[in-house]
Amino acid sequence: MGRTHTLRDIAIGCLVVAVLAAIPWMLPGKAFQDFVIRCASMALFATSLNLLVGYTGLSSFGHGLFYGLGTYSFALLMQKTTVSLPLAFLLTLLISAATAVVVGAICIRLRLIYFAFVTLAMQMLAHSVIISWVGLTGGDQGLQGGIPRRVVAGIDLGNQYNLYLFSAAMLVIGLLLMRHIVATTFGTSLRMIRDNETRAAFLGISVWRVKLTVFVLAAVFASVGGMVMSLFVSGAYPELINWPISGDAIFAIVMGGVGSFLGPTVGTMILLLLNDVVTRQTEYYGLALGLIILLFALGLRRGVLDFVTERLGGRPAGGVH
Amino acid sequence: MRERINRRTLLAGSAGLLAAPWIARAQSNPLKIGIQSIFSGPIALLGTSSRGGIQPEIDRINAAGGLLGRQIQPVYRDSKGQPQEAARVARELVNTDGCEILLDAEASSGAFAVQEVVRDLGVLCVHSNSETSSLTADPKLRVATAFRSTRQGVHDAIVGGAHSAKVATEKKLSRWATCSPDYAFGRDTTAQFLEFLKHFKPDIEVVSQSWPKLGQPDFTEVITKILQAKPQALYSALYAGDLSAFINQGNVYALFGAMQVFVPAMGDLPVLTAIKNLPPGIQSAARYLPTFPDTPANAAWYAQYRKANGNDYPTNWSWESATAMRFIEAAVTKAGSTDGKKAAAALEGLTIDSPFSTTGKVTMRAEDHTLIDYAIGWGTTVPQPPFVTGIEPGDWGQIFELETEWKKKNGYI
Repeated sequence: MGRTHTLRDIAIGCLVVAVLAAIPWMLPGKAFQDFVIRCASMALFATSLNLLVGYTGLSSFGHGLFYGLGTYSFALLMQKTTVSLPLAFLLTLLISAATAVVVGAICIRLRLIYFAFVTLAMQMLAHSVIISWVGLTGGDQGLQGGIPRRVVAGIDLGNQYNLYLFSAAMLVIGLLLMRHIVATTFGTSLRMIRDNETRAAFLGISVWRVKLTVFVLAAVFASVGGMVMSLFVSGAYPELINWPISGDAIFAIVMGGVGSFLGPTVGTMILLLLNDVVTRQTEYYGLALGLIILLFALGLRRGVLDFVTERLGGRPAGGVH
Repeated sequence: MRERINRRTLLAGSAGLLAAPWIARAQSNPLKIGIQSIFSGPIALLGTSSRGGIQPEIDRINAAGGLLGRQIQPVYRDSKGQPQEAARVARELVNTDGCEILLDAEASSGAFAVQEVVRDLGVLCVHSNSETSSLTADPKLRVATAFRSTRQGVHDAIVGGAHSAKVATEKKLSRWATCSPDYAFGRDTTAQFLEFLKHFKPDIEVVSQSWPKLGQPDFTEVITKILQAKPQALYSALYAGDLSAFINQGNVYALFGAMQVFVPAMGDLPVLTAIKNLPPGIQSAARYLPTFPDTPANAAWYAQYRKANGNDYPTNWSWESATAMRFIEAAVTKAGSTDGKKAAAALEGLTIDSPFSTTGKVTMRAEDHTLIDYAIGWGTTVPQPPFVTGIEPGDWGQIFELETEWKKKNGYI
C-alpha cells in the first residue's frame, strides 16, 4: 500500500470528521451525538480486537480487559489525582501497554483455544480484582461520583458537543493508525502468521515478537475506546471490564465482517442500532439479538461488509480465505 | 426517525409564532415521563414490581384530568442492569423521546450513572429504588434536581442495630455470626449493622463471618460453618432468591432453632411466599407489608395493587416507586411547571399524605433530597400470613441523631 493510499485515507478521515462536526448544526437533537460517542468507543474496541482475530488469527476472548482497564485507569486518574486530561490519557495508554506486555507474554505462547481461554481467564482475573478492591474502585457499585473533565486549552469535554467531536476525532485517528499498521510490512507479517505460522518463522519472522507487538498495540487502541466510554458515562463500572463486553466486540466483528478493515465499525453500528431499536420495543432483547445473529451466521455466513465486498466482486481487504 | 424530525421542526416552528398558540399547544401535549429500570433477566422483578406501583398512580392522575391539564404518558425502558446502558437510556429518554421528567427505578449502580446524566441535563429526577445512602448523603454526589424516594441503608442499619441490641439484651445474646453476600452491598450493610449494634450494645463478640457468592445454589458449607462456631445470634444481609434458598436449606439443618436470627430483607412478600416452611421467631425488618403500618390506607393500597397487577404481590420497590410518582405529581402541581429547577424547588421539603408511613405523611427532606418519616420497623416471623407480627416502628428522632453523627464521621457534613 503506497503513500498515495495513506494520503487518501487521511483525506477521507478529515472529511468524515468535518461532516460529523457539521451534522449537529443541522440535526439539533442530542441523540445522534450520543450514538456517535458510543459508536466511537465500541468501534475502536472492536477494530482493535480485529487486529488480533482477523489479521493475526489470535482469537482473544479477553480483549475487554484492556477496554475496561482504559475506563478504570482514566477515570481513577481523573478522579483521584490532579493530573491534566492529556496526561491522564497518556498515562492510561502506558498502563494498558505495560499490562498488555505482561498478559501477552503469558498468553501468546499458547495456541488456538488455549490462547482464547487464557485471555478470558486474564479478563476474569481483572474483573475479580476490580470487584474486590472496593476501596479504590468502589467494587461492584462502580466508581461513583462522576469524573471531573478538566478543561484543556479552552476545550471542556463536559460539553456534549465537544465530547462528541473528541470521540469522532479519536475514532478517525484510531482507525487511520490501525489502517496504517495493517498496511505496513508489519501488517503483512501478521497475515502471514495467521495463514501459516511455521512458514513465517522459516522466513525469518520472529513470530513471538510480532504477536506480542500486535497484542500490545491492540490493547492500547482498546483502552482509547474505554476512555471515551468513561467520559460518556462519567465513571467506570465493573460491567465494562466483565467478559460479556468482549463478547459484544466479537459480535460486532462477526456481524460487520472479519475480513474487511471497516467491518468491525459497521458491525458496531449494527449492534448499537439493534440494541437501541430493540430495547425501545421489547424486553426480550436477548432473544431478538440471538435470532439476528443466527440469521447472520446461517444466512449470510459472513459479516455484512465481507458479504457486500464479495458481491461486488472484490476480495476482502484482510484476505480471509 | 422522519416522524420525529417533523414533530421537532413543527415545535420549533410554532415557537416562532405568537406565544398564545404555543402555550395552547403545550397544554394539549402529553407530559412524557421517562421510567427506566431492569425489566429483563434475573432481577426483572425490580422493574415489573416498580411499574406495578407507578402505573396505577398515572392512571389515577390521568383519569382526574392529568397533571397541569396534560395527560401523563409514561415511557418505560429496560437498562438490562448495565450502568452504561442506564446512562444511555436516561439521555435517550430526555433527548430523543422528549421526556420532561425522569423516574429512575434502577438498582444502585444504574442510579449512580443516571445521577451523573441528570447533572448534565438538569431535568427533575426521582430515584425510586437505590437505597445506597451515599447517593444523597455525599455532597459531592448530590445533584440539584435529583431526589430519592426510598428507604436507605443507614436508616435501616440504625433501626436494625437498635432493635437487635434490645432483643440481644433481653435474651443475653453476645456471640454473633454474620452471613451476607460477597460484594460491596453485602459487606457494607453488614459492617454498618455491626457498627450500630455495638453502639447500642458494646459487649458483643463476632465469632464467625461467612460471605456466600451471589446466586450460590448450595449453602451447606456456610450453614455448617455457622453451626460449628456455635453463635447465639446470626445476622444476614442475604435477600431475594438467595435468602429464600438459605432459609429453605437452613431449615434442613435446624439452623433457626439453634440461634436467634436477624434478617433485614425478610419482610418482603415475594421472599416470604417463596419459603416453604417459614421458621417462626426470625427477627425481620418490614420492607413492605400490608400490615405495617396497619392502617386502612395501606390495606387499600395493597388491595388496589394486587387488583391492578394480576394478583401479584407488591414489593418494597412498589411502594417506593409509587411514592416517587406521588412526589412528582405534588411537586409539578405546586410549581405549576415541569421545569427542572422550578419543580425541584417545589419538591424540596415537601410533605405529602402517604399510606407508607406510620404518621400518614412522608417528607422529602430539603437538605439532602431524600425521603424521611416512612414506615420502618422490625418484627417477628410466624409461619402463616401476615408472616411478620409485633412490628415495632423505629424512632425517627433517634434515626436523625445517629444519621447526623454518621454523616459527620464520613465527612459529609
